[in-house]
Amino acid sequence: MKALMSVGALIGVLGLLMLIGMIFGVVPSNTVRLVEGYMPMQVLSELAVFVAGFTGLSYLANSMGMAIPRFWQGVLFWSFVQTYLKFRIYPPIPFSVRAMYGVVSFVAVFMWVSANEEDWKKFRQPILNVLDANTGFHKALRTLYLILLPILIGGFSFLTMKPSVDEPIELRTVHPAPPASTKVHGKTYTLQTSQNPYRVNLEGKYDQAYSNKLIVEQGMGRLMAPNANPWDDKAEGYLKYVREGGEIFFQNCHFCHGDNLNGRGLHAFAFNPIPANFTDPGTIAQLQETFIFWRVAKGGIGLPNEGFPWASVMPPWEQHLTTDEIWKVILFEYWHTGYYPRTWD
Amino acid sequence: MSKLRVNVKASPIIGAALGAILLSASAVGIGQAADLPEGFAKGDLAPAPPADMIEAGKRVYFTKCVWCHGVDGAGDGPGADRLWPRPRNFNQGTFKIRHTASGELPLFNYNEKTPDSGKNDLFDTVTHGLPGSAMPPWEGILTEEQRIQVLSFVTTQLVKDRKFTDKQSETQTILQLGTIKPAEATEDSIKKGAQLIVDKKCIECHGVEGRGDGNAFNLKDDWGFSIQPANWHKCWNFRGSRQDPYNVRNIFRTFSTGVNGTPMPSFADSTSVEERWNIANFVNSLCEKDEEGKPLGIDPLTDKPKINFVVPSAPVEGEISSDPENEMWKKQGRRYVAMGGQITHKPRNFVNRIDDIWVKSLYNEKSVVYLIQWDDRTKSIAEGKLPWAPTQVNVENFGVKEQAPKTGEEGSIAAAQNNYAVYNDAIAFQFPIKWQEIPAPFKPRYLFGDAKFNADILKWEADGSLRSFKGTGWDQDFEERDDFEEKVKLLKSEWKNGQWTVMISRPLKGSKDDYDDYTRFDIGKYIPMVFFAWDGHNGDAGRKMAVSAFYYTILQPPIPQEVYIYPAVIAVGVVFLEGWMLTRRANKKKGKVL
Repeated sequence: MKALMSVGALIGVLGLLMLIGMIFGVVPSNTVRLVEGYMPMQVLSELAVFVAGFTGLSYLANSMGMAIPRFWQGVLFWSFVQTYLKFRIYPPIPFSVRAMYGVVSFVAVFMWVSANEEDWKKFRQPILNVLDANTGFHKALRTLYLILLPILIGGFSFLTMKPSVDEPIELRTVHPAPPASTKVHGKTYTLQTSQNPYRVNLEGKYDQAYSNKLIVEQGMGRLMAPNANPWDDKAEGYLKYVREGGEIFFQNCHFCHGDNLNGRGLHAFAFNPIPANFTDPGTIAQLQETFIFWRVAKGGIGLPNEGFPWASVMPPWEQHLTTDEIWKVILFEYWHTGYYPRTWD
Repeated sequence: MSKLRVNVKASPIIGAALGAILLSASAVGIGQAADLPEGFAKGDLAPAPPADMIEAGKRVYFTKCVWCHGVDGAGDGPGADRLWPRPRNFNQGTFKIRHTASGELPLFNYNEKTPDSGKNDLFDTVTHGLPGSAMPPWEGILTEEQRIQVLSFVTTQLVKDRKFTDKQSETQTILQLGTIKPAEATEDSIKKGAQLIVDKKCIECHGVEGRGDGNAFNLKDDWGFSIQPANWHKCWNFRGSRQDPYNVRNIFRTFSTGVNGTPMPSFADSTSVEERWNIANFVNSLCEKDEEGKPLGIDPLTDKPKINFVVPSAPVEGEISSDPENEMWKKQGRRYVAMGGQITHKPRNFVNRIDDIWVKSLYNEKSVVYLIQWDDRTKSIAEGKLPWAPTQVNVENFGVKEQAPKTGEEGSIAAAQNNYAVYNDAIAFQFPIKWQEIPAPFKPRYLFGDAKFNADILKWEADGSLRSFKGTGWDQDFEERDDFEEKVKLLKSEWKNGQWTVMISRPLKGSKDDYDDYTRFDIGKYIPMVFFAWDGHNGDAGRKMAVSAFYYTILQPPIPQEVYIYPAVIAVGVVFLEGWMLTRRANKKKGKVL
């Protein structure tokens, strides 16, 4: 038991040191990298490791006779969660969201310290001491609070009331509801029934099962499936169309959506809303191929108002590409990210 | 129309630099082997990667790299022709960012998987990418193993003219960057560096202030493609910055080893290590800093400075100075505005040469003034009269065309770079007309407004004109507004050492206090603003330009009195609350009940 707890304590100390190091820039902030798409799981498991570490620490402190009072345990844990959210997570979480997490974790800590009568007494004892006790230390502390509290609360309300120039928050719908049909280059496409004419098997029939077998493999790197190289001279049908789509992508789209389709192209840094990240499971992986066709053909200017058509720099690709080229680019995007288009049923 | 620029075959600078190296080759560094430049040591060639690694690398290459670097690694993939700088041609084994002496192959060792070890140049390039070019950082996308694999494939199969393992023809003279102690960036060191960049003729290419504006259009790389000297003020765009732009070691390394395949020579033989540190410290000191002189915050997702989308305008009493060095301007913080190429409508601007501008703003009771500064290597003013009217937006018929997707190297952007017709440099910004009546978050479209919501556009061109337009859509010609043009004022426009400084004043409101035709500025309100910039030597005109996202400008109100009063009242309230609570507890202890 003790050995186990020592390991836990060690993990806790190491984790804390690393976090503190990252905050002060001693440890490079990318030492343990948050990988896109896996971030929620990573954060959860990191927090779990920290909790295990703290359990170990508290156990060790106990057995060495230096037990941390319940009150301070609660306060420290709550401030740890806040520190973690503020400094570990990137891109940064806005204050309002952190405040929400703050309240939730406060409630959780409160429930923990008030789980039974004895714990609750232990927890509130230090608070009562400051209010009532007549020892010199507590008297000094009481006076300190008397002076500091008004200053802090006054100062805080001054800072909140002072006019600031934070950018206004505007909420944009990233995937607005599509129309029933869309007209591109004089032809009307019904989104529910249209199919990508290049998603075909070797007989030339629409065959998603066939193309699904030839997309890149999921997992780190997302590499092409063995023996499915679109650049092979003998590649035909689906794989040949993938290559043609890739050529169009790298002549038109990568400037914003990036060489790895992760939305980090050459010009992406300048734009807001930022270009879509196709490798994120929340974009094309969740959408039907015809939805993408509509979005690509009509671009930012063709968005409904909730999508902020005035701000998006996504070109209406019908101005630059033929319908066939658009379908091929979509084919390439699914191939390169290793996702299946969602089907309507 | 406009004059075409003539290519100059061999740059005299390269010749001079090479000459300098040859002459000083005999100078021997202190404590070094007789034939090695100071700070370098002989190294061994790395072993050849195993065949299975090369085979695995091929799979990575044909998934990720082939699209730009091409099937044979000749830098001619489908994406190549619309890129500038062009993707690397691997065939000759010419690589830019190295720890090895000028002309040598870079370090590559398939056994060395620690990033930034200084022992694996190519691995670090793939890991961190080449900022300022289309080469992204592959860390987090490809595993370390996969990065090593693809490099094994590239160095053995696609580098065709040289061999990484050939002891007969290849040597490795390695900069000992890990063990050389950097000279501290003291004032003295920086001062010496400032003198050295003149003595060593750095300024002939990089310009007097280091904005890359010296000889900007006569430099070519080994393949004959136009190339431009680095702008020292934007260290985040340094190819060799390794995603750590303010680290002086990167500059020291580039300066010691040179950039193979480009006119940038190695100065290892002509400078001592100490001199190189002085130069590196000086160059590093030029990179843009914040108001407190600290490095700008770099966004790890984009490797560019972090963006704040609000451009605040501060109130001043009386006349606003037209001198950017005036105290009132120096006090006001500047904002970084990121600029991307206009790639939405034809003619698209794939190669955007103005990637940021810096904006400050002040206002008084009558007008609001914008001070805009941006780096542009060339001062461009069209010769003679432009064939289109200033209001004309659709200028495709006058030769302003976007690059064809596949042209062959002859017609690529890099090849055409010296041959564009020269138009006017220009800057413009737009506000919504009658923004008070537009419900948030609606805005006139970022590109010159739309039919429903019109844009108020103010455009300055390098020929000295400042014009006011009404924009009603991306493909609609502007409407000129002469009555407003009388009221806007150009306070300053100057191009100096690779930087434009333009100061534009416009009234806060019209004489009748209405806002029918132009934007009325109300204090404390967020007004959407979009910036546009044109580089005349890049052939920018019409929609071929740089464009920003939506920013907000706000006239900062003077702080109202309540802000001071209420917190004081709250603090007093808290004191009373404390008194009440303690009295209550004291009474309770004594057993009294109130």
